[in-house]
Amino acid sequence: MIDPEELRTRARDLLEGGQVRAVIGYRRGSRGWAAEPVVITRPEEAQDLVWDPSCVHNLALYLVQDRRRRGALRESTDRPIGILAKGCDARAIVVLMQENYVQRDEVYIIGLSCESSGMLDERKLAGAAEGIDPQALEAVDFEGDAFVLSSQHQQWRLPAAGVMAERCLECRNPCPKVHDTLLGKEPREQERRGTASAPTMSDPFAELQRFEQTADSAAARWDFWSRQFDRCIRCFACRSVCPMCYCEECMVDSISFTVTPDTTAQEKANRLRWIERSASRSDNIGYHLTRALHLAGRCIDCGECERVCPVRIPLRLLNTKMERESRERFGYEPGASVEVAALLASFRDDDPNDFIR
Amino acid sequence: MERILDKGRLGAWVAALADWTVLAPAMQDGLWAYRPVAGGEASLTLGHPNTVQPPKGQSFPQREVFFTFDETPDGQPRLTPLVPRPGPRLVFGVRPCDGQGLTHLDQVFGEEAPDAYYQARRGTLAYVGLACNSPPSRHCFCTSVGGSPFGEAGLDVLMIDLSDRYLVRALTPVGETLMTAGQGVLTEAGADDRAEAQQRRLAALAHPQRAVAAPQAVPERLKAGFGSALWERLAQPCIGCGICTFLCPTCHCFDINDEVASQSPVCGSRVRTWDSCQFPDFTMHTSGHNPRADLGARLRQRVSHKFLYYFENHGVFQCTGCGRCIIACPVGIDIIAVVNQVAAEAAAMPPADS
Repeated sequence: MIDPEELRTRARDLLEGGQVRAVIGYRRGSRGWAAEPVVITRPEEAQDLVWDPSCVHNLALYLVQDRRRRGALRESTDRPIGILAKGCDARAIVVLMQENYVQRDEVYIIGLSCESSGMLDERKLAGAAEGIDPQALEAVDFEGDAFVLSSQHQQWRLPAAGVMAERCLECRNPCPKVHDTLLGKEPREQERRGTASAPTMSDPFAELQRFEQTADSAAARWDFWSRQFDRCIRCFACRSVCPMCYCEECMVDSISFTVTPDTTAQEKANRLRWIERSASRSDNIGYHLTRALHLAGRCIDCGECERVCPVRIPLRLLNTKMERESRERFGYEPGASVEVAALLASFRDDDPNDFIR
Repeated sequence: MERILDKGRLGAWVAALADWTVLAPAMQDGLWAYRPVAGGEASLTLGHPNTVQPPKGQSFPQREVFFTFDETPDGQPRLTPLVPRPGPRLVFGVRPCDGQGLTHLDQVFGEEAPDAYYQARRGTLAYVGLACNSPPSRHCFCTSVGGSPFGEAGLDVLMIDLSDRYLVRALTPVGETLMTAGQGVLTEAGADDRAEAQQRRLAALAHPQRAVAAPQAVPERLKAGFGSALWERLAQPCIGCGICTFLCPTCHCFDINDEVASQSPVCGSRVRTWDSCQFPDFTMHTSGHNPRADLGARLRQRVSHKFLYYFENHGVFQCTGCGRCIIACPVGIDIIAVVNQVAAEAAAMPPADS
């Protein structure tokens, strides 16, 4: 696995040498073992960077925030911003580049290979092993195909596959394909699959398949999703955490409706609202399904939307469904290459549909 | 009034409260949430650390319809007010921090401008609290913000867990009614029961918790730190979602919209929904100007409302130390650390007049 010290040295050198203006990475937060995203600008801050199984966040989001912030301040720059990128983060960065939201030379990608491991799912910790109190943990670390969890007085070594995030178990590219420098190795297929008794990797879309087998009729799926969406509190964490949700105005907000002295009451009352603020079933479904469709061919399955949801709506099912559609129908894999045109922005002569030709 | 309730008879007490719709924490879809208890449910236990959402929504629901509007057949506009008239509801297992939170909602929606919708719901609600023998989460910090793990504010009854039984204490006349209704189930409390409850209380108070440092100085220091560069730095990882405010037992900001179902003939409803100071359009002016345009300004608003503005208006912190915003934040923003860092920086600054 990657030695965090190596990562700190690389970040420090980049900042010291002036090759990057900042580095987006992870550091230890004030609330225990979980890492938190950080943007460092001074070489001495590199010592705060960490790399462990709690580095779940997709840092590509902060490229979006950086662009927004610079746009608001009209700040121009001649130097790229450095960013730590796991396989999934790098795929997200590629999509931002395919869509021309970010240019290749604006970003210096420090690739981090998860090798044959992945990220810890905090929710799987409860009950994972005798005596573990997730609240009492102080640190988590990689150790081969295991995670080592430490509290003040005790240490546990758990097979990683048992508590790993589902999206990591299904991940096809744990090693970034696009990067400027790479830490860690590209794992061999065999290493990733683990052994028959301790598999580390499941089939892509495994969870989606399980769902489709369980809820195998339209009625069963309607029941399932109604129940999920009824819980939604419309905190919009799924949208806010998503690096692909970079629209200046989202369908659920109304921030660009400008009122002038000439705006009539009628115009104010009739301003376009696609989806009401009410957390009702129909508006919740409208929100989530529209978002899922907007992510078709763009979502790279970092799973952040599902991780952050405070009411546990299984949003990955929607997104992996669209991902599988784009793969099966168009042979398209989101985030694979900067050179390939984005799915919804491309046209092929051999498109199977007549209407498009 | 103090009584003893055998743990196995909790369901029997609930069954005796047939006039009430009883809600209690239940685990469903991986979440602790208040759910209606089916009559005489024997499986009812109060095994929750705390619920994901506070009981706030019982009196201040996320969506409240004020009135509907439409046109009469002769084309005249017509409003139909909809003030809720819920039957009596009883919420079981409320933690003291959330009880404290209810008192803040009562202040906001009851004092200066009584809110008819809130009052109509609150008037038929009762709360049975459950004291915390030990903090349900490592991010509990009630004792440093004026609360207590055995706090009674906002509650009608407090239950204290004595391993195999509860000491049940009435705190209001409604609480006494609830206990009288359960007189076949509740038994006399003895001196030893009271002594044991007192021991638990002292142990709970002595239990180490995270803490807001020097709380009495916090409002003044936050005021001094209004222009601090720390706000922007601490908000750096913030994604701008509404989790911290929507899971908060005391956040009460709302938006009002007309939901137009049909333009011709006109019909629809005027609806109040929760809003969040973390959303981009929260303070957006009609001109397009936004006085809180960035995440630092929004973090400052959330924290200052709880620890400065509310304190100036009501003499207490609005935050009750439940820790939900810390636990559920996707990127680790920690209100205790934020308050402590801004306050410490302000404390280290030379006084403005020197």
